[in-house]
Amino acid sequence: MSLEDVFPNLRTSGYTITSPRDPTYNCIAWAANEMDRWWWPNPSYYWPNGVPRSETLEAFTQAYATLGFTPCEDATLEFEYEKIVIYVNSAGIPTHAARQLPNGRWTSKLGKFEDIEHTDTSGLDSPVYGSVAIVLRRHL
Amino acid sequence: MRILVLPSASFGALPIAVGLGEEAEIIRHRFLEAMCHYWELPVSRRTLNSAHRFHELVEDWKANCGPTSSVTQLAMHPAYQQIIGMGPEAVPLILKELERSPDHWFWALSAITGADPVEPEDKGRLNKMAYAWIRWGVEQGYTW
Repeated sequence: MSLEDVFPNLRTSGYTITSPRDPTYNCIAWAANEMDRWWWPNPSYYWPNGVPRSETLEAFTQAYATLGFTPCEDATLEFEYEKIVIYVNSAGIPTHAARQLPNGRWTSKLGKFEDIEHTDTSGLDSPVYGSVAIVLRRHL
Repeated sequence: MRILVLPSASFGALPIAVGLGEEAEIIRHRFLEAMCHYWELPVSRRTLNSAHRFHELVEDWKANCGPTSSVTQLAMHPAYQQIIGMGPEAVPLILKELERSPDHWFWALSAITGADPVEPEDKGRLNKMAYAWIRWGVEQGYTW
């Protein structure tokens, strides 16, 4: 099954694979600019100190708050800010995070699969990831 | 002495002496016991079957767990759950797989053994987590 089968919107919105497959880090870490550990609120994995180990949007928002990210209005490019979006599935459980690049495009690590650069956040809207639930930003 | 050849569904046609004295009956009984033991619980065969099944499940999981970052979703995959269901006999197989190709087998190992040998500062660091579990396995006397 190809990425485009899982994420059909990528066919039209466009994307580029930017890394080989790697099981050592995931999208949550990659959005936080880390690529040496897997973030997840499971007791066996990394999760920021003091943040509840629960699979909720609130806990994931708090995790990024430890790095200075706060909620903002939308995902449009603002040159003085770095932005992250968090996706949730139909049950409201966080599934994915993507980080905006200085050129306005987005970078995502797809689980154990590759990193991709995609044109917009809707490229990963799908039953697997759901859709964007919150946009966060921090000053550069 | 009369020798009869009795057909047997399990062992093929075996020449078995019947209608004889006590000693012959004991030998026949012991022979059948040994054959039953061989076919019922051959340990070497059981291990081979477990390893074969384990590797099929590993391939299934790797091919079908999808692009998820969720450790929960990775562990809830049916193949992964079946590996957990194999119980303690899966532990050396998982440790061997971790040594060969580190991947997210920690949920399964913790679920089966109740242990968590990974240091807090190494949580999430795949290779260090794999190393901690392999070292734990050696300390516990597992061989693979």
